[in-house]
Amino acid sequence: MLVANRGEIALRVIRACHDLGLRAIAVYSDVDRDALHVRAADAAYPIGAAAPRDSYLNAARIIEVAKRARCDAIHPGYGFLSENADFAQAVVDAGLVFVGPPARVQRLLGEKTAARRLARHVDVPVAEGTEPLRDVAAARAAANEIGYPVLLKPAGGGGGKGMRVVGRDQDFDAAWRGATGEATAAFGAPALYLERQIARARHIEMQILADGQGKVVWLGERDCSIQRRHQKLIEESPGPSVSENLRAKLGAAAVRIAERAGYVNAGTVEFLVDANGEFNFLEVNTRLQVEHPVTEVVTGLDVVALQLRIAGGEPLPFAQEEIVRRGAAIECRITAEDPLAGFTPASGLVALVREPAGPGIRIDSALFSGMAVPSEYDSLLAKVIAWGSDREEAIGRMRRALEEMRVAGIPTSLPFHRAALFDQEFITGRYDTEFVARWAARKTADLSDGTAAAAALAAVLAQRSRTERRALARADDPWSRAGREDALR
Amino acid sequence: MRYEVTLDDRRLRVDLAGDGRFTIDDRVVAADVREIVRGRQWSIVLEGESHEITVVTHDPLRLDVDGRDVHATVSDERTLRAGRGAVGTRTGRVELRAPMPGLLKTVHVNEGDTVERDAPIVTLEAMKMENELVAPIRGRVTKLNHRSGTKVEGGAVLAILVAE
Repeated sequence: MLVANRGEIALRVIRACHDLGLRAIAVYSDVDRDALHVRAADAAYPIGAAAPRDSYLNAARIIEVAKRARCDAIHPGYGFLSENADFAQAVVDAGLVFVGPPARVQRLLGEKTAARRLARHVDVPVAEGTEPLRDVAAARAAANEIGYPVLLKPAGGGGGKGMRVVGRDQDFDAAWRGATGEATAAFGAPALYLERQIARARHIEMQILADGQGKVVWLGERDCSIQRRHQKLIEESPGPSVSENLRAKLGAAAVRIAERAGYVNAGTVEFLVDANGEFNFLEVNTRLQVEHPVTEVVTGLDVVALQLRIAGGEPLPFAQEEIVRRGAAIECRITAEDPLAGFTPASGLVALVREPAGPGIRIDSALFSGMAVPSEYDSLLAKVIAWGSDREEAIGRMRRALEEMRVAGIPTSLPFHRAALFDQEFITGRYDTEFVARWAARKTADLSDGTAAAAALAAVLAQRSRTERRALARADDPWSRAGREDALR
Repeated sequence: MRYEVTLDDRRLRVDLAGDGRFTIDDRVVAADVREIVRGRQWSIVLEGESHEITVVTHDPLRLDVDGRDVHATVSDERTLRAGRGAVGTRTGRVELRAPMPGLLKTVHVNEGDTVERDAPIVTLEAMKMENELVAPIRGRVTKLNHRSGTKVEGGAVLAILVAE
């Protein structure tokens, strides 16, 4: 199996391969030579420079490596080439197996307005919206007809890139320009369409699995409403607002869409659910999702291993009624971003890492001490997943895990996650897609005097240690500098 | 050596004696301090309570304190003195410097004004606190380097006063 990805997801796929006794082949760009996925794989091949188009998006190069390494199949992970129908086709044309839905399914569902038509066809409700828009004038006219706020979305792909909420007519032109640019960069296609914006909605998605024999099952939903810039930060299952009745409806709707599309392998059908529990189809993600572990820990199923089995032609080994969901799971995406500075991305050297462990905690991570976080890729560093027999236990374990976790050297999203798990909206499960916009860092006023004293002392020691090392670095004479550094060791 | 430490909105004074003992806010504290990772992580058992402090980033100084995120600043005696603006010279020219990085909230004077000693010159907002920096001498304001609303670095010269 060739794993055409990097970071935590490459490691995740390699683990599934090893669990099944398959050899896993990694590929890496120039800046990823030291990465964990390279070291975990049985073999590893360089595929080019750091820029994605020169390496992880270089389809021809990746297929060439797969053939040279005598691979039987390619797993694309998420992002990069995972939703590129031409790549899926090229893999098959090269005589290899593509782990994911076939190119024709990706084409059908990847064009978002075609997917909306398909959903309507099988009686799944769809948010009021348009077909791909000709130009900004036509778009503005459509926006005025639907009524503000509207959502400007790329027709060529999902995942939140190139998406804009437009609140007023006078902001429309700027949003159109920004979204067109982003959509072109992300999907190579500038086409945009419009949807009515549903205020205070929840983003609920349904995991499905389909085998090559035409059987489709749903595994359960994930609430992914906690997002910033339409990128998810926390996901959980079951959704705290989802009733048994709504779950069954979403599952059935997802299966109808998948059956109609002739879906094969793992996928996710996304919905927006409003405050009254009314749902609308959003899109289908024709790939493995970042947040798949949430579903894995509540169902006890290994979604990636099942992807490999389905790609190998095996039928699904269970029926819908045999899928049992136990307890509750939450995932926090720890990213190299500074939540105290508007989630600006950070790159640099990870000086120290300690990952949590213990009952109910799973870590899917690409982190290691000494890791240089490159600026070329997605900011996701690690996923912390907590399971509990109920939501309260999962929250308790997640708080504990986040408190145990240490990442030093670069800012990470940990302060946000630590605060979020104590947020009243989160605790009561009444959050929505605007949660991140409203978050505030936890106050240190409640630090005990002893804790504050220890922190103050450490702050002074840290400052002194840094001043000393700076003084050493300033010394002109390399011999005396080396001598003094030795003396300090 | 004496230090002033801020932890978010809290302010503490730390005295480090030569013999390794230290006081916090003039109280001698018994602590067992271990440097676990050089310059990066400390285990401190302080009056029986166990704490672990990790430096997340140096600039700005962000600490992980037992799994809590704390923004810290440390000023030693020298920068504290500079903060009071006591950088006088024989010519009677005095520089008023920012003791820490922050936002220049208000400039209370104009160039050419004559001010009394301890008159407020600027208000610097740092760590969500407003710090009023006052005239260290009676004199004339000959230079104002930053307008209100601008961000300034720690140590930046905010104003120059000449004794009168």
